Amino acid sequence: MFSPEELSALYLSAKVALWATLICLPFAVALAWTLARHEFRLKFLVEACLQLPMVLPPVVLGYLLLVLFGNKGWIGQYLNAMGIELAFNWKGAVLASMIVAFPLMVQPIRLSFQLINRQLEHVAGSLGASPFRVFCSISLPLALPGMLIGSILCFSRSLGEFGATITFVGNIPDETRTIPIAIYSFLQQPDGEEFAIRLVILSLCLAFSALIANYFILQKYQRKLGA
Amino acid sequence: MKKSLFFSVCLAASISVAHAETVRIYAAASLTNAIIDLGKIYQKQYPNTNLVPVYGASSALAKQLEAGASSDIFFSADLDWMNYLIKKNLIHQNRVKPLLFNQLVVISPKNLNIPFKAQSGFNFAQSFKGHLCTGQMESVPAGKYAKQSLTKLNWLNSLNGRIVGTDDVRSALVFVERGECDVGIVYKTDALISQKVKIIGTLPADSHHPIIYPIALTKQGAKNADAIQFEKFIKTSPQAKSIFQTYGFRMSQS
Amino acid sequence: MLKCDFQYQHADFQLNIKLEMQQQLLGIVGASGSGKSTLLKNIVGLLKPQQGCIQLNEQVFIDTQQNIHMPMHQRKIALIFQNALLFPHMNVQQNLCYAEKLIAQPERKFPFEEVVELLELSPLIQRQPHQLSGGEAQRVSIGRALLSSPNLLLLDEPLTGLDTHLKQQILPFFKRMKDELDLPMIYVTHHPEELEYLEADTLKLSQGRLQGN
Repeated sequence: MFSPEELSALYLSAKVALWATLICLPFAVALAWTLARHEFRLKFLVEACLQLPMVLPPVVLGYLLLVLFGNKGWIGQYLNAMGIELAFNWKGAVLASMIVAFPLMVQPIRLSFQLINRQLEHVAGSLGASPFRVFCSISLPLALPGMLIGSILCFSRSLGEFGATITFVGNIPDETRTIPIAIYSFLQQPDGEEFAIRLVILSLCLAFSALIANYFILQKYQRKLGA
Repeated sequence: MKKSLFFSVCLAASISVAHAETVRIYAAASLTNAIIDLGKIYQKQYPNTNLVPVYGASSALAKQLEAGASSDIFFSADLDWMNYLIKKNLIHQNRVKPLLFNQLVVISPKNLNIPFKAQSGFNFAQSFKGHLCTGQMESVPAGKYAKQSLTKLNWLNSLNGRIVGTDDVRSALVFVERGECDVGIVYKTDALISQKVKIIGTLPADSHHPIIYPIALTKQGAKNADAIQFEKFIKTSPQAKSIFQTYGFRMSQS
Repeated sequence: MLKCDFQYQHADFQLNIKLEMQQQLLGIVGASGSGKSTLLKNIVGLLKPQQGCIQLNEQVFIDTQQNIHMPMHQRKIALIFQNALLFPHMNVQQNLCYAEKLIAQPERKFPFEEVVELLELSPLIQRQPHQLSGGEAQRVSIGRALLSSPNLLLLDEPLTGLDTHLKQQILPFFKRMKDELDLPMIYVTHHPEELEYLEADTLKLSQGRLQGN
């Protein structure tokens, strides 16, 4: 049903999006918690940095990634010495997706934390739970809807990531040619439009499935909470 | 008061439209510097002409033209994409003139010492680490020529997974300049422009299709007097010839 | 025995508390805004007095002079709020056992079955919090507090928000707790009749100070 190139793009897109989401999650939870619960002097700066990937053109992000993490990049050269290569590599595609999708994941989780009734956490503390235990047993489970929404948004955004990815890791079949990049490549070829259209439909199906799964998971959780 | 202001704005606009003739030339990325230079010379002679160059991979440009982009002249890096537009009825076959020749070279960053021999017995894949940068091999002319050469020299399979295809040949050049790629395959004319790369070898002319740069007026351009004049300038003027040769292009005989 | 001698200030409001609790059940009345909740929050550890000392028997919770501050979760003081505040993502049993799990078996003061029996919680055990009525939820929250093996139980207007009928239902449970459990309790309310029913010694909180009745 699918050609090898299409399967390769599909597998690569799913792999990159999944890793990006998994790695972003703990950082997003930590940052969301900090922003939701703490006030500090440089908070406005942290917020601005967080929003930056959302307002910068993806190509600019890709270029910055190249300058920082390319093989000769400021950080990349040291990573290279340790055997870690990010440019022209699916791992670099994961990094690009993480940067652009991270703000999308933080916001819903932060909102979830803000919506938790603080008194529930106080009660848990008075019952003998340490702050860490309160976080794990009360705050985190109650923030689950936000974490789910954030994960789905992050995953979907990663599936569609193009500009930063192609600038940073290039367009290498089986290595960095994700679905959007494959579509772009097919559109450059003399009679590639029909392949491009197939991949566009595939993208739509994937995005829809993610959103529908999100809907049902949320429903189930809300039913459990009696909302 | 408002009416007269409105009127004068319209008048000014119509005057400016009447005097500035726009010529849109869609040129392959490898022609960027040459076109800029001869554009400057042309503008000195004809200051009223508004030259709008659009540079990119010939594949991307051709696709844009097919999608309806407004263009008067198409100057491609291979015949395939010119023929593509002829098939799509945007250019007349008899308007096409092959103008320039180019060569394909292998480059590396200036500070590296990578051996190269343009013979199929030479183990190219082992001679460098990391990736090789060139244009997208399915669409960008530089990449297509590169693929032909690599196939002819029996190197393509051994380089599997290490070839980075860029949007256009200049991007490949930049990657090698930055040292992100140890080697690249670009046109000789591109290599000569850069201070940060060196040519480590030339791919034999018989290992790929002749690298011909055809130029043609589009159907739209054929009705634009200024476009016709500019195209003639590029094809026949001694200044244009001198510029192309300075950059390393060879002129076509015909 | 609970001993308090502290000052707490926030904005324009100031608490000046001197208390030595001899009784098993102490009632505190006061008008709205008199600082009843603030007083309890200082004892449980949600708020920190600027100056002073709070201790229960030999355990010093806070002593500003000696720089001692025991965090809330170590004080073993349970606080019952106006709202039941059951954890919505856990069922009744999980709510009840939340604190119990944190305590080693030999240190548990009140056996699970006894608490369930005392508060008549058996039929509710598997239910989700949103399936409980206001009164049922409050009983579960009391059970949860008891199962945390507290050395002191604070009740912050536990019946406010329930209708008279429910109040009548729950007050007897408090009476039973007073009679059957060896657990000091402070019961704060602005309805003196509740304290009358419980036959509690009552102090009045007014203008930031406690006055004997």
